[in-house]
Amino acid sequence: MTYHNLLFTLAVLFALWAVMAKKLLTSAIMLALVSVTVSLIFFNLGAPWAGVFELSVCAGLITVLFIGAVSLIRSTEEKHPESRAPFYALPLAAAIFAIAGWFYLPAFFDELASWRRLADGSGTIGTALWDLRRPDLLGQVLMLAAGVFVIKSVFPRRTEK
Amino acid sequence: MSIFAMDWYLIALLMFIGFYCMLASRSIVRQLIGLEIVSKAAMLTVISAGALTANLVMAQALLITMIVIEVVVVAAGLALLVKAFRVNGNADIWKLDGLKG
Repeated sequence: MTYHNLLFTLAVLFALWAVMAKKLLTSAIMLALVSVTVSLIFFNLGAPWAGVFELSVCAGLITVLFIGAVSLIRSTEEKHPESRAPFYALPLAAAIFAIAGWFYLPAFFDELASWRRLADGSGTIGTALWDLRRPDLLGQVLMLAAGVFVIKSVFPRRTEK
Repeated sequence: MSIFAMDWYLIALLMFIGFYCMLASRSIVRQLIGLEIVSKAAMLTVISAGALTANLVMAQALLITMIVIEVVVVAAGLALLVKAFRVNGNADIWKLDGLKG
């Protein structure tokens, strides 16, 4: 219980740090830490497959993509940094949201949780992924193909005229 | 207050931070970072709801699909960022007005 809440609090703190960091590289690394914390929450909630995917893809691949993109644009970003004023106001805004939400949101979420219908909880992730949700896999393959196509069309090979 | 209500309260806070980042920033990289934080909050909601209804198997299958889509969206966004940076010389969303009539 305490560990669980600590992980959620850490995720919020890392997200705050990621948004408020002055350097984009720090932001990317803090985003990776948010991903690591989220994957630990998944393991804690009993979802190891989701945790493994989150850890390998979101904390690994996406961080590499972010760091690659940031290293390409870093010199210009450092020469012309954007205004920091809205980011300094973020802790205040988050605190106002947290205090105002404390009076309404938990009661609403309790009401929401009371509407639940329990599933039987049987089956394995293999059954769900390969038998029950097979069309999803087709969608995932098509999605990855769409991603490759976007990269291919954004960076076309230059042909000499 | 149940443990799920507390979780979702903190998830709401996480989502607020992501939306604030997307609203306040003009840099494309920070827009994508805000999008990532919001999608992390959405993923946590899916798995938390799966744990609440004892249906984690389906929730994980859905989440794997979400992760694949997220990766493609971020890769496409970063590719567009690099292209826009090469064309405009900066990564400011307010300068992305090449198609303005």
